[in-house]
Amino acid sequence: MSCTDWQSRLEAYVDAELSQQERQKFLAHAAQCPECATATLALAEAKRAIRRAGQRFTATAQLRERVQANARQTDEVKTRKPHPPRLLQWPRWAMAAAAVVLLAAGLFFVSGRYHKANSLAEFADLHVANLASANPVEVVSSDKHTVKPWFQGRVPFTFDLPELQGSLFTLTGGRVTYFHQEPGAQLIFAYQRHMISAFIFRDTPQLAISQTSFSDRSTSFNLETWTQDGLRYVLVSDVNDETLSQLARLLQKR
Amino acid sequence: MEGRGVKPTSDRSREFESLAMPLLDPLYNFARWLTYDPTEAEDLVQETFAKALRGFDSFTPGTDFRAWMFRILRNTFLTSRTGLQARLTVPLDPEDEVSATVTWETPETLVLASATREALQDALEALPPAYREVIVLCDVEEMKYAEIAEVLQVPIGTVMSRLARGRKLLRQALAGKRVLGVAGKLKNR
Repeated sequence: MSCTDWQSRLEAYVDAELSQQERQKFLAHAAQCPECATATLALAEAKRAIRRAGQRFTATAQLRERVQANARQTDEVKTRKPHPPRLLQWPRWAMAAAAVVLLAAGLFFVSGRYHKANSLAEFADLHVANLASANPVEVVSSDKHTVKPWFQGRVPFTFDLPELQGSLFTLTGGRVTYFHQEPGAQLIFAYQRHMISAFIFRDTPQLAISQTSFSDRSTSFNLETWTQDGLRYVLVSDVNDETLSQLARLLQKR
Repeated sequence: MEGRGVKPTSDRSREFESLAMPLLDPLYNFARWLTYDPTEAEDLVQETFAKALRGFDSFTPGTDFRAWMFRILRNTFLTSRTGLQARLTVPLDPEDEVSATVTWETPETLVLASATREALQDALEALPPAYREVIVLCDVEEMKYAEIAEVLQVPIGTVMSRLARGRKLLRQALAGKRVLGVAGKLKNR
């Protein structure tokens, strides 16, 4: 394929829509063709910029509660009546939502731990949501010398990756992720068939994490967290805490 | 009529919840990009969840749940008042025209890449809805072309041409703004 033919495929390459074979052909071409290489780089940067700009709005806690309460209430009515209820029974669910919000607010004030546990639980959500996405990893590589440089310029800090040789863990890849509007790195390790996310963020006060480990009984996720060199590490996985600690030690030792 | 469901409804709704709740933020973000209005976006999301739960039995397990949810949200939007207006501006698909005339203005692309978040958001807002939605789905939600095609209920070729054209418009808008410089900024305020 000539340069002009590739021009129309550059976007598909950047969108990760080329087949494996086509991808390799393109990479071989780009290695010879500074024009295509520059254009591709620019397109990739542009895509990333759009992504950052486009991730703009998040649902309020109230909406979250309302949607959840609504689903449960719809369900309740459904079991009582043969016909589905009318959508949006405002007063009743609004009251239910208000009650939930009040309760949550009460808990929040009664115990600061609530917030902290919650903050960690959000990492569990992030772990699940990212693994469930169409491309859980943006940089696919088990080579730490590929993965680490990939994060250059993508996250506002740098970190070291552990030596995994001789351990049961393998590095699958990484991606950029966001937590409370702060960009961070997510590394994905595999342990047998389990996936472990290692989140690395700058340790800002808004993270508000004081515990070192946390297990969410309702979802059976284990979390382990610590700070080192001004960075906050959070490991999340469904493996047991013993295994999680092993990886934590590897990351701490480096 | 009663006893119709195979599973107890509460199990189904719990299953729905576990699948759908992680999509709340992405769906809300998408709704805001469609409506520009917080209240309207919230209503849209709530209606989407309610519709999806009611229609959950028609969802085929193993198929793309995210695409299914986004499709419901978008269809709900299209039948709303704002949506009907937006629909009028859906362009005809100039597929051939686009693929024939794609040219790579790398400098323009670089302008886009280095634009501030605000400038990009403004430019994205100013795009015709049909281009805006496809860019948000592809670049922000990182959906595959096939998944986007499912959300929008159009052929993949249409997804690709809208994407190419939308991005081109975006690049041009930002490059133009840079040329306008101060004048452009004044006009914005």
